[in-house]
Amino acid sequence: MNPGLKLFLILTISFEISLIPNLTTNLIIISICLIYLLFKSISLKKILLLLIIPLFAATVVFITIYYFTPNHNLYHATILFTRIYAYVFLGAVFTETTSILSLARSLEQNFKLPSKFAYGTLAAFNVIPKIHTEVNRIRLVGDMRHYHLSFYSPTLYFKAILAAISWSNSLAEGMISHGYQEDKPRSVIVPVALTKKDWLIFSSILLLLQPILLLTK
Amino acid sequence: MKKLHLRDIILIALIAIIFGFIYLASDGLYNALTALLTPIGYGMLANDIMMGIWCMAGPLTGFLVQIPGAAFLGEFLGSCVELLAGEQWGAVNLLSGAVQGLGSELGFTFTSYRKYNWFTLFLSATTTTIVTYMYDFIKNGYSYFSTFNMILYFVVRWLSMLLFTCVLVKLIVDLLEKAHVIQTNQN
Repeated sequence: MNPGLKLFLILTISFEISLIPNLTTNLIIISICLIYLLFKSISLKKILLLLIIPLFAATVVFITIYYFTPNHNLYHATILFTRIYAYVFLGAVFTETTSILSLARSLEQNFKLPSKFAYGTLAAFNVIPKIHTEVNRIRLVGDMRHYHLSFYSPTLYFKAILAAISWSNSLAEGMISHGYQEDKPRSVIVPVALTKKDWLIFSSILLLLQPILLLTK
Repeated sequence: MKKLHLRDIILIALIAIIFGFIYLASDGLYNALTALLTPIGYGMLANDIMMGIWCMAGPLTGFLVQIPGAAFLGEFLGSCVELLAGEQWGAVNLLSGAVQGLGSELGFTFTSYRKYNWFTLFLSATTTTIVTYMYDFIKNGYSYFSTFNMILYFVVRWLSMLLFTCVLVKLIVDLLEKAHVIQTNQN
């Protein structure tokens, strides 16, 4: 399926289940996603992780709603518990089957996202390892001077932002010197198709979802 | 009206990522708070206590870049990067990122992007509190709480926003102003 359209589908479903509390829908979504992931031969270890990672958050929500709200409603608590799993499984269906580059290309070609957003974000994304090192380095320098910098220290943010400003200049200059021009039409190296079949899958899934959301509990 | 250029977009995305890394340092505190508060029924309150920390990128980029849309992008691009990094929470985080971004941006919109001072940050902190609280009211089941708890969660979230997205962001902005970074950024 077209990456951009797939993202919109996942977002629409996530948004709808956020608004309408419905246990059946959550369970159906989790099962379908699970079957889909198994069908796409995702390793069992990864699926196990998908079950374990949200457990802490989901349990806290369940305990709070079931034991500590005036109604002690098991149904509501279960909905919120399964909703967290539905989010994670929907997210996994997307991230396990879509590459970053194809998503950026699809959003630019099929959904008219200005290229400066697609490539600007990708440029920043590609220096993540450097950012990680820089944040750690700033902290280490602080520690060496017996000046511990934590998430509440303005100095830590200040130094990191200075680094970001200098990198953003270098990255933008680098891109421009390689011939990148914002707001100018670009030639397409790898075309991403948005077919009638994609729209058909998109609309049928959403059409199927509505009655389940509205008619079941 | 001024437009966002490639350099601004890269800068905003970089700041969003950097803040993401710094937030990681607060994860231990978040988990400890959640574990401590769950037995007395306030496990979900940890979310509200920490909320201000997670919403700092928006007002900061709004102040630094001073172009409409900058505050929204500061929050939203952070969630896009999480998606790009292949996080399972990614897709849903885009929704939360958009909601938080909208909240941050509204504060700047209400001052017509003309005033950049304490009041702007206070306004942005307040609009972010209202918008994100409304989202959690529906999404995270805050609507099932007793009236007392509904108010308590709101007040705690607001205080957290004021402390981090108003006071801490202002301290960072002051440092940046002293270094003349905000001015050079404008030119």
